[in-house]
Amino acid sequence: MRCPICRKSVTWEGNPFRPFCSERCKLIDLDNWLAERYRISPPVETGEKNASAENPVPDTEGDRD
Amino acid sequence: MSKQKAAEPSGAQAYDATSIKVLGDLEAVRKRPAMYIGSTGAMGLHHLVWEVVDNSVDEALAGFCDRVDVIVHSDNSVTVTDNGRGIPVDMHKEEGRSAAEVVMTVLHSGGKFDTKSYKVSGGLHGVGVSVVNALSESLDLEIWREGYTWEQSYERGKPLATLKRAGKTERRGTKVTFLPDAKIFDSIEFNFDTLAQRLRELSFLNRGLTIRLKDERTNKQSEFHYNGGITEFVKHLNKNKDVLHATPLYAETERDDIHMEFALQYNDGYAENVFSFANNINTVDGGTHLSGFRSALTRAINQFGQNQGLFKDVKENLQGEDVREGLVAVVSVKLPQPQFEGQTKGKLNSDIQSTVASFVYEKLMEHFEKTLAVGRKICAKAIDAARAREAARKARELTRRKGALDSGGLPGKLADCQEKDPERCELFLVEGDSAGGSAKQGRDRRYQAILPLRGKILNVEKARFDKMLAHEEIRALITALGTGIGKEDFDVSKLRYSKVIIMTDADVDGSHIRTLLLTFFYRQMPELVERGHVYIAQPPLYLIKKGKKTQYIHDEKEFRREVLRRATEDHAVEFGEGSKKLRLEGGELTNFLMAFGEYIELYSKLEKRLGDGRPIDALLRAELSKKVELENQAKMEKVAKDLRAEGFKTTIKLDEEHNIYFLVIQSETQPERIIDWDLLTSPEYRRLFDLHKRVHVYDRPPFTISSNGNKVRIEDRKELVEHVMSVGKKSFTVQRFKGLGEMNPTQLWETTMDADQRTMLQVRIEDQVEADSIFTVLMGDVVEPRRQFIEENALDVKNLDI
Repeated sequence: MRCPICRKSVTWEGNPFRPFCSERCKLIDLDNWLAERYRISPPVETGEKNASAENPVPDTEGDRD
Repeated sequence: MSKQKAAEPSGAQAYDATSIKVLGDLEAVRKRPAMYIGSTGAMGLHHLVWEVVDNSVDEALAGFCDRVDVIVHSDNSVTVTDNGRGIPVDMHKEEGRSAAEVVMTVLHSGGKFDTKSYKVSGGLHGVGVSVVNALSESLDLEIWREGYTWEQSYERGKPLATLKRAGKTERRGTKVTFLPDAKIFDSIEFNFDTLAQRLRELSFLNRGLTIRLKDERTNKQSEFHYNGGITEFVKHLNKNKDVLHATPLYAETERDDIHMEFALQYNDGYAENVFSFANNINTVDGGTHLSGFRSALTRAINQFGQNQGLFKDVKENLQGEDVREGLVAVVSVKLPQPQFEGQTKGKLNSDIQSTVASFVYEKLMEHFEKTLAVGRKICAKAIDAARAREAARKARELTRRKGALDSGGLPGKLADCQEKDPERCELFLVEGDSAGGSAKQGRDRRYQAILPLRGKILNVEKARFDKMLAHEEIRALITALGTGIGKEDFDVSKLRYSKVIIMTDADVDGSHIRTLLLTFFYRQMPELVERGHVYIAQPPLYLIKKGKKTQYIHDEKEFRREVLRRATEDHAVEFGEGSKKLRLEGGELTNFLMAFGEYIELYSKLEKRLGDGRPIDALLRAELSKKVELENQAKMEKVAKDLRAEGFKTTIKLDEEHNIYFLVIQSETQPERIIDWDLLTSPEYRRLFDLHKRVHVYDRPPFTISSNGNKVRIEDRKELVEHVMSVGKKSFTVQRFKGLGEMNPTQLWETTMDADQRTMLQVRIEDQVEADSIFTVLMGDVVEPRRQFIEENALDVKNLDI
């Protein structure tokens, strides 16, 4: 397992800062959340499949019959 | 710098009897030794050595000595020998005895009290070697000077005879052997490591000086000689650390009679390790030289960061504590008549702060501009420190502000429940205001609370909308949970709800909000998950109605099965024609069509990957499914032959790394494709292989669908499944819920919130690890790996929609 911030390898058991390596990295992560630095982008579309990327659940034809 | 010193100092002024001034008396020393050497314990005992060595180092500072030997004899007597000028031996006019004897017997009588002889001098207490003499049972002095050897012996500070010229010599220098007085000291046992540490320090501080330490009690010996001076000191201090930059930054100068130098190097830790010295004295409490160094460091890093535009992520300037994390540095100044403060003289008081600061600032900026990469790394580390400091402050604020206002401080958006016992309370984190509205109306307000969260949408570029949790949302979440956040303040026992339920739409937006929330919990509150407090609500995807009978369906697979089940109640399918045709109906047909549908889907994915379906057919015909089978060239040849008959060009090659064969194929219309163990062991192919065994006997068009005497003939297998599905769907009304907002409050209650009817997923750590890795990919700025990730996972869309 790797620390989400610095990528150092970390252990889970007995690590008070899990999943981070240190209090430092955990705080940097918290700062990222509070400063709105974490963003998820919609899937990158490869061109022709715009519509399908919008909706990952395979849409069966006809919602109502 | 000893060499440098040689140019100016005492060359002009003679170092003889006239330069020794008499200031005090020795009897007092024996009465109150602690006043002069700090204590009669181990510290004081070792100070005796420092006093003698300091005299030699002063000679080195003045440029007349480059070697000092320290020997601890078996009886704990110590000999210090240098190759300096030798203590003056001529007669002292005021005292009427040899200058050497005055130095050895009169307090405060060293040459260092006259700035003309030693411009710069160390000396721990400035009391001189006479104190050592006074506190020694015996002391033997030998001086080699001006062609002669001079000798004198003392007992407890008293000369046994006058200084005697013993013989001729070519040598130069002074040798002092003393046996500490056991009547004075608690113990006269010297510690090798204590001696070694300080002597090493002295040799770092006096570049080029060789100091040898020999312990005749154990035959241990060490030699200290560092041409790199304090640069090597810093390297030595960072010996077992991971450093940020390979070479320490170093600079030295001489201004206003002050020699200044510093060396610094950052490691990846958080501790600060800075040594400051004034005239070789370790100023453990710092002082003006250290303050000057520190303020210049802070200013330089701030200035450089600003010049480079590195401060986007920090609001204020970096503070001293930010730039000192992981800092290892040595600051050394040498100046005439240093002013110290305090009993231990651990703090320099001389007014040199601004001189040191302007020198350090100038040199640091030069270094940073010259090696931008190093400057940026140091700056980045300080920025991390500043951000962590800032986050810790915000975390305290978040937690304590709530505490001050108590329950009145709950977020305005929270519709809390009436019950106060956390054991019975549930908190629904609901995406979007409209769904939040339904949830608020549909809930059981006695024990269910609702917190609507909206993913903030950012229009980053044209047609690219990023999703995130706004600061206010996170603040509201933390406050509603009641646990606080951060190392000091997070307390899981203060959790106000035993179940925290994430309820989001089953679409991309919903899955993104869910990923964000899970990642936040995983990273900042893993205890919530470990204790099983976090759940994911399972709202239905479909509502099926037939007459008065209604049924909620939660996933696609369940939906397909239900549709097929209903269609096969009155439909049958015949596979193939003539005598060999097969027939399925009812439950058997449902099971077959479920498997067949999945088979067709996987087949088309692999077809896309290989650009053609025929290689898949050939692999399935050859019944290849294991890596080990590729060790057999004949098996590969069978596939190749099959494909050649289909018009492919084929080449069998050996993968030497794994000692297995792979096949390169090329058709007229497609570029080269590779059939190898990677393909064979892919989850898609494996599943396809298993399904193939179940379905292949029926995979023989045409397919004839019959129902109540009507028959429909279909040639294409994909159409077969679709046709039966559409028949099934006609038998009832289907409502697909695209979002929670499409359900009315009653529906939401019945299907998703009512503890007696709902199903929920309890989140485990593994789920969160998964969420975190998906999160990491989705939020990445780098487009390429993300595209790849999406494409890879497009094979199984469910991976995306955790």
